Amino acid sequence: MKYEKKFRQQEHQQISAAQSHLNQTAHEFATPEEMLRHDAKQTQVPPQIAHRLSQSLQNEPLSPRPWWKRWLQ
Amino acid sequence: MDNSSLEQAPSPPDLASDEFAAAYQTHSREIYYLTLRLLGEPQRAEDATHDVFLKAFKKWSDFRGDSSRRAWLYRIAINHCSNLRQSWHSRHIVPDMEEMIGNALAPTDSPLRLLEIKELGDRIQKTLDGLSEEYRLLLLLVADEELSYEEVAGLTAQTADAVRGKLHRARKAFTVLFQKTA
Repeated sequence: MKYEKKFRQQEHQQISAAQSHLNQTAHEFATPEEMLRHDAKQTQVPPQIAHRLSQSLQNEPLSPRPWWKRWLQ
Repeated sequence: MDNSSLEQAPSPPDLASDEFAAAYQTHSREIYYLTLRLLGEPQRAEDATHDVFLKAFKKWSDFRGDSSRRAWLYRIAINHCSNLRQSWHSRHIVPDMEEMIGNALAPTDSPLRLLEIKELGDRIQKTLDGLSEEYRLLLLLVADEELSYEEVAGLTAQTADAVRGKLHRARKAFTVLFQKTA
């Protein structure tokens, strides 16, 4: 009986520790938007986009002024 | 994860104008995130973000200032992704997840929970993929706190009141589907 009680105490402690761990790692978001904002902040823009864009822009002529800007002057 | 790398995206070197480079640095994160969640694949999002900013550069002087530069870039990104998705949908059959949602009594007032933050991206993507295009776009735009309801309404071609009304149903649909992805 003594061993059984001790075993149950240990089991109880293990369950409490596991629940505590779950509480520590659980994440809650009040709304989908809040979750999406968190996800967006964690998302890193691949640096190769900037390099690709820079290369593409070297082949682009500077765009002319639009007709309405010329007309306004 | 290195937080310093998340602060700001690197600006492209040797860009044609300081203004454009600054716009890329300021807005590339939200444009990349929108394309990522609309298209569902990092490689497609990378291509799309490149194409969106290239289009923006070509149209840079057409910007008339009747919206924010942020909203203007969103407009280009939404149109670009819409074109891509139309051609993709013509080759794939997508199940209508709206029917699965039906009139489910979702506890929309209870928080969305998950145990592992590393699974967040995958579950969000699965959930968004199951939503209608309208709800998906609405939630992604409203999640950007820099955009007003009026700007979201302009980008989705409806009134601000309609946005508010649909947002409630979009949240409910998201919550139901998100719970199914567990």
